[in-house]
Amino acid sequence: MLEKYTYVLVVFVLALNALISIYGIVYRRSLVKKLIALTILSDTVFISIILVGFTLTHPLVPPVYTSMEAPETEFLVKHASDPLPQALVLTGIVIGLAVNALIAFGIIQAYRLSGTTDARKLIKPLVEEVSE
Amino acid sequence: MILTLLMMVVSSLLSLVFVYMAVTEQDLLKAVAFSAGQSICYAILLQAMAATDIVMTYVAVSVGLYSALLVFVLSKTERFEEIGR
Amino acid sequence: MTKRTLILLALLVASIISPLVVVNFTPIDIPRAMRELGRYYVVNTIRDTASPEAVAAVVWDYRGLDTVYETVVLYLAIVGGLAVFRLSKAPSMQVVIGLTVLSRTATKIIILLISSISAAIVLHGHLTPGGGFPGGSALAVTSMLIVPVFSVHSIIERGITSTRLIAIRGLALTALGLVALLPVFRGLELVTNQRFYPARVGFITVSGSISLYNLFEFFAVASGFTAVALYLSIPEEWYKERFSEHGG
Repeated sequence: MLEKYTYVLVVFVLALNALISIYGIVYRRSLVKKLIALTILSDTVFISIILVGFTLTHPLVPPVYTSMEAPETEFLVKHASDPLPQALVLTGIVIGLAVNALIAFGIIQAYRLSGTTDARKLIKPLVEEVSE
Repeated sequence: MILTLLMMVVSSLLSLVFVYMAVTEQDLLKAVAFSAGQSICYAILLQAMAATDIVMTYVAVSVGLYSALLVFVLSKTERFEEIGR
Repeated sequence: MTKRTLILLALLVASIISPLVVVNFTPIDIPRAMRELGRYYVVNTIRDTASPEAVAAVVWDYRGLDTVYETVVLYLAIVGGLAVFRLSKAPSMQVVIGLTVLSRTATKIIILLISSISAAIVLHGHLTPGGGFPGGSALAVTSMLIVPVFSVHSIIERGITSTRLIAIRGLALTALGLVALLPVFRGLELVTNQRFYPARVGFITVSGSISLYNLFEFFAVASGFTAVALYLSIPEEWYKERFSEHGG
């Protein structure tokens, strides 16, 4: 009973985190706040990918061999977490880091050129130009 | 078993608090601190799910590199966010 | 109670109560056994890759080509930074002092600890959880700590300029590509592990190409992000002079 409650609670909280961070990306005015919300969104997606490899067994161990004898293989097949989602998330974290560093460079240069990091003030000249 | 499940419940609820406080905060330095707190809660959740390789990478990147990078960016741009229509 | 705290309390109460409702009214099925593909990787990892750690085997051997390309994607951060900042090379920095003796001493102890633990994480990455990425990122955190406490000039006057760091990164990436490419000259496929590289050197389990990949990845990530930290610490007055003389 507690197991099902925990699983549904974790899924629900991850969905709420994703919704709050999408609200933060769309409605907040500062570019740095948008970057913070973007990192929260990508972290939430990574955790939900690893949740796919979560199984409900009593000693949940990482998929690492600790001894070279024969029964270790069956023990790991029954009690270990899935290595494949972990490998994909490792790649994803590194690529997310590179893209977020590039966005940080872009924010600094936008501040140097226009004096503000407010998204609505940055877009105001373009909006006026279109409406004329 | 009960300890693992309790860890998952507590850390996920705490991460909800940190995420909400980070997104609705006006002082961006406090928002960076809340984001680091949210990363620690996610690291506890990952350890409860036995993904130890990810925990090492995630803590180094999200608590260390992102907080340092964002503090660098904040020192060169504005610290406070404007709120309004 | 501000409006913000009230909304937070409402979200917390909703997320504590709604799983109870869902669990009572709908049948939920939690998986109790690993999926097929994960089971294959766990059972066959020692025979195929000589590495007792399944995640490192999947990252560097079973799906090795993805990881080699992802290491190239890290170049985006550095090249993009250079392009956005319009730099051809970093300017010469003025001598600045840095923080007090208290922070310096504490930072020296912390840097020593972080360096030794990142070396440990890299070197045993093919036997226990760890590898090239966590070790490189930990060392990059070190350099991001040095810049405010000791000042950028203390890094540059010791010969660690951003050009040299990018040269180290290029060399590490070339070595990574060579480790992936060498088996082709014998007629095997591109990222081959056990049929070309030895699994043991003497009495040490080296797991073929996995430990080589971890070592070169460590150098690539650490030097790349130290270069990013050096680009980010160029002082604003230098930019104001350049923009005012060119007219923005």
